[in-house]
Amino acid sequence: MIDISILLQIVWTGFAASTYAILFAVAFSLVVKVVKVWNFAQAGMMALSFYVMYAAHNKFGIALLPSVGIGLVATIAANVFMDRYGLQILRNRNSPSLTFFIFTLVVSEFLAYLLAMIFGTEPVALKPNIMSGVNIVHGIVISNWDIEAVCVTFTLLIALYIFMTRTQDGQFMAAVSDNPELSRLYGINVTRSYVITFAMTGVLITAGMYLFGTRASIIPNTPLQMMLFAVIATLLGGMGKIFNSAVAAVGLSLIQGLSIFVIPSQWQGLILYVFLFITILFFPQGVSLQKFKQLISLPKKQSAAH
Amino acid sequence: MEYFISLAVLVGIYITLSSSFNLIIGFGGLVSIAHPIFFALGAYTTGLLAIHFQTHPMLAVLAGGGVAFLSSMMLSLPSLRISGDYLMITSIGFQLGLLEVIKHLSVTGGASGLGNIPNIVEGSSRSTLFALVSCAVAAVVVLAIRWLLNGPYGRVIAAMRDDELAFAALGRNAMMIKLSLFAIGSGFAGIAGGIYAYYYQYISPDQFEILQSAMLLTMVVVGGMGSQLGPVVGTILLLLLPQAIGFLNLPPSVMAPLQGVIYTSLVLVFLFWRPQGLIAPGQRQSAKEA
Repeated sequence: MIDISILLQIVWTGFAASTYAILFAVAFSLVVKVVKVWNFAQAGMMALSFYVMYAAHNKFGIALLPSVGIGLVATIAANVFMDRYGLQILRNRNSPSLTFFIFTLVVSEFLAYLLAMIFGTEPVALKPNIMSGVNIVHGIVISNWDIEAVCVTFTLLIALYIFMTRTQDGQFMAAVSDNPELSRLYGINVTRSYVITFAMTGVLITAGMYLFGTRASIIPNTPLQMMLFAVIATLLGGMGKIFNSAVAAVGLSLIQGLSIFVIPSQWQGLILYVFLFITILFFPQGVSLQKFKQLISLPKKQSAAH
Repeated sequence: MEYFISLAVLVGIYITLSSSFNLIIGFGGLVSIAHPIFFALGAYTTGLLAIHFQTHPMLAVLAGGGVAFLSSMMLSLPSLRISGDYLMITSIGFQLGLLEVIKHLSVTGGASGLGNIPNIVEGSSRSTLFALVSCAVAAVVVLAIRWLLNGPYGRVIAAMRDDELAFAALGRNAMMIKLSLFAIGSGFAGIAGGIYAYYYQYISPDQFEILQSAMLLTMVVVGGMGSQLGPVVGTILLLLLPQAIGFLNLPPSVMAPLQGVIYTSLVLVFLFWRPQGLIAPGQRQSAKEA
């Protein structure tokens, strides 16, 4: 019999731990939606963001909040630079998707190697002490980090939602994601939409790395491994459905946490890959209730036909 | 001298790997980066057969190739029916997922790796013999691919890659061509893995991670994707280049990432300034001349 308080604790911890994963998934999904690129360079940008914050705070003694600001500026600059002087050239050449893939993957690795050369491969965290104060609410341990992470993530998601639905630039981005050629004909500055997309991705990445870096240590290669989670959440949420990918990230994180009741902890890492296969094979357009209903009703229809 | 002979072993192994990878990605147009997992499956199969069953080295290496050949279908059968981007993502998941399994199985030595693979060549000429074998296998693989691509099967592959819809409209089975290309390329990678396991006598999962995929991709892109000799040139260049910075006597903590920076910078340079690679594919070259 499972103790309900243990179950609730696992659900809460899984939910809190999913916050940075949500930000990475939303950032990845945003680029897939607007720019139509599987941006594996996001892993490199995540590493860059973390190490700039780390260097500013731990090497130059700047307070944590201004360090986050410096990290944010560096990440946005690097993201926009990559789009203007990398992706834009490939777009102009009508390069195949393989070239985009190679480019983004290699940018990621270039940054990982460069950071390993500068900072070494010893795991480092943003704060010297990553322990956080805790509060007990109805028997559930809720750390101060959990509260901060949930607040930061939801504030950013609400801000993104308002930007996408209530501002002209957000609506232009939606138009560009739908049809860039037609958008251009209507006088929308497509390049500007791409730049804004990468700038917003920079904000999400920096916030995510701040949350992750105040909770755990990383090495330059860690973000590359974390990227797969964002990719699977994007696939599960459905291509171009930014907020669905956030929901998928929470779902994945909870399933990973709760799987401890069913499978040994050492095999928990495999769950992600199983999900990846199931998603791609059965739900390549993402998981939706309609799809589920179709799948459920199909055998009934077949038996009725017989 | 021993150092350069060891390098020749590595060159042979990597030419086999990059040429077989080029067959899949460059000629088949199949966007998979899971090639190192087939290299790993070949290495682990050979290593386990050698340790537990004292199998004849030749049979063990061929078994490694066979396992890679068959297991490639685990990836290709379900995922080749979907488009390029999805195949790429599935291939990453397949590679990392299988490595995760290898890391947690006791029979494979877990994350700490599989050691005690028997030494099959004693004496001072060990490396020389391995260098000869690995280079000979590389030459056979390059020639086999050349023979495959220059014959009728090569024209079928080119037709499928250039216009799959038209290919299917002519009643051809593109799926079967893709499956066989994938399996042949993966089988060659498995054979390279077998030689690798016997030479180094130790293998671990982190030798077959995603960075290995990037290294192979670099060799193919720099040499010339879709060109028969491109990966050979790319491999030799990229394995010899780090030797040039070896004379700088930098500490290993700087040397390894510096090599990575050089590799990745080269790919970026080639992607933008010479996307066709050092040796352009024959077809595009002749089109240019025309």
